[in-house]
Amino acid sequence: MKSYWFLDREGGTCHALPHDQRILADRIKQLEGDKTAETPDWEYAVKCGFAKNRGEYLDLLHATAMALTAERIDEVSKVDHPELILMVKMLDEIDIVINLLSERSVEWYRALNPEFSRKSEMPRGRKLRDLMRDGSDEALGEILDEIEQLTKRRSTLSGKVAAKAAEHLPNCSALAGGLVAARLAAEAGGIRALALMPGSAIQVLGAKNALFCHLSTASPSPKHGLIYQYRGVHGSRKEKRGKVARVLAAKLAIAARIDYYRGEPDPVFITIAKEAILNAGRIQ
Amino acid sequence: MIWIGDHLVSEGPGGVYGERTVQGYRLWSPKRSKLAALYHLGKGIDLENYHRVLYLGAANGTTVSHVADYVEVVYAVEPAPRPMQDLMVVARQRKNIIPIMADARKPERYLPLVEKVDIIYQDVAQPDQAEILSVNSRFLVSDGIMVFMLKPRSIDVTRTPAYVAEEVIHELSTKGIWTEECVWLSPYYPDHAALICKVS
Repeated sequence: MKSYWFLDREGGTCHALPHDQRILADRIKQLEGDKTAETPDWEYAVKCGFAKNRGEYLDLLHATAMALTAERIDEVSKVDHPELILMVKMLDEIDIVINLLSERSVEWYRALNPEFSRKSEMPRGRKLRDLMRDGSDEALGEILDEIEQLTKRRSTLSGKVAAKAAEHLPNCSALAGGLVAARLAAEAGGIRALALMPGSAIQVLGAKNALFCHLSTASPSPKHGLIYQYRGVHGSRKEKRGKVARVLAAKLAIAARIDYYRGEPDPVFITIAKEAILNAGRIQ
Repeated sequence: MIWIGDHLVSEGPGGVYGERTVQGYRLWSPKRSKLAALYHLGKGIDLENYHRVLYLGAANGTTVSHVADYVEVVYAVEPAPRPMQDLMVVARQRKNIIPIMADARKPERYLPLVEKVDIIYQDVAQPDQAEILSVNSRFLVSDGIMVFMLKPRSIDVTRTPAYVAEEVIHELSTKGIWTEECVWLSPYYPDHAALICKVS
């Protein structure tokens, strides 16, 4: 038997498929990688009555390829959730913008009020903005309002990222928190890419410079990359951080695989993994 | 190929990527497309309206749209979803573009869709680009031509492009692909070469 994307041929008889894009697209998926699949022959398609002429054959092929491709794009976004990654990238970008604008505003305020010194007990965040707002330029005040707005947007977005991460990366989120989980996925290049990574790679995700510096010179290897942001890592004693990072990364690698292949939280795994991470930080 | 003065153009519905039009024809700029650069250098294969083309590394469909203006059908292979979304928009307007979302390293995945073609055009900035061309040569008719946009910098940045190109030409010849001509695309694309190849 010979199988084309548009018909089956058995001996002298052929069976043309209906002009239904869904059926034809499913058929192509079936034939992919199938060794019996034949290079399409449009003349045979016409002979068998699938298409009236080459023009119609190409039209049908075009419509089917379009449907199949649309389906493929959909599938990718279903497993990889590019939205989550774009959201967390946006969040980090907003952080950078807020910091830049804040720094620049302080400089501006200092120029207007020479007695203001950074050395003294300087309030931070909102208190600093309130302090700068009175007794300063109107234009600066407007920018401070803008920073205020951005800060609000940031916290809304951060909540949304955490919620989305808890939905798409439930196990990773349970171990390292939604934001860190989402950042790891973004740095890895997608949820699938993260799931395929070994723990040792996850441990140094986001420490690219230190890692390549280590590989090409004699400098020590980085202990942690992005996962430094996890409280258990940056909060533990310096000599313990490496160990916590190693255990956390190993557990995250397993969690990422459960997230990608199973897609739901595993309470037993989470309890055991959390215990192991906690133990790593303990001082014997 | 259609030339208006010094401008290479193609005939088709305009406004695909914001290209200029000249007397109703779409300007095909050598600054936007390596294939256009090749034609501007006086080389390359004339595209005819009966040609069937397999296009590997279709990306956003900029060059694909011009090729589709000239030929009968373009099988456009692109693995990444985001450029594919753009390509779909182009293919909605041009019915002779057949979009295929697949990795060009695995031609068996699109074997059931692609017929024998007259021209294979490849522009994929990957380290194994020679291997990709070789596994796809099975789609070529016996006297077909391959236009291979070689980016030596994607293969090895530490060696000179000319040296890498020579190695690639040798590698291709061991796989039964004969390089007829090697055209460097400077000044349009420094360190890029176009290889015109045939299956020997």
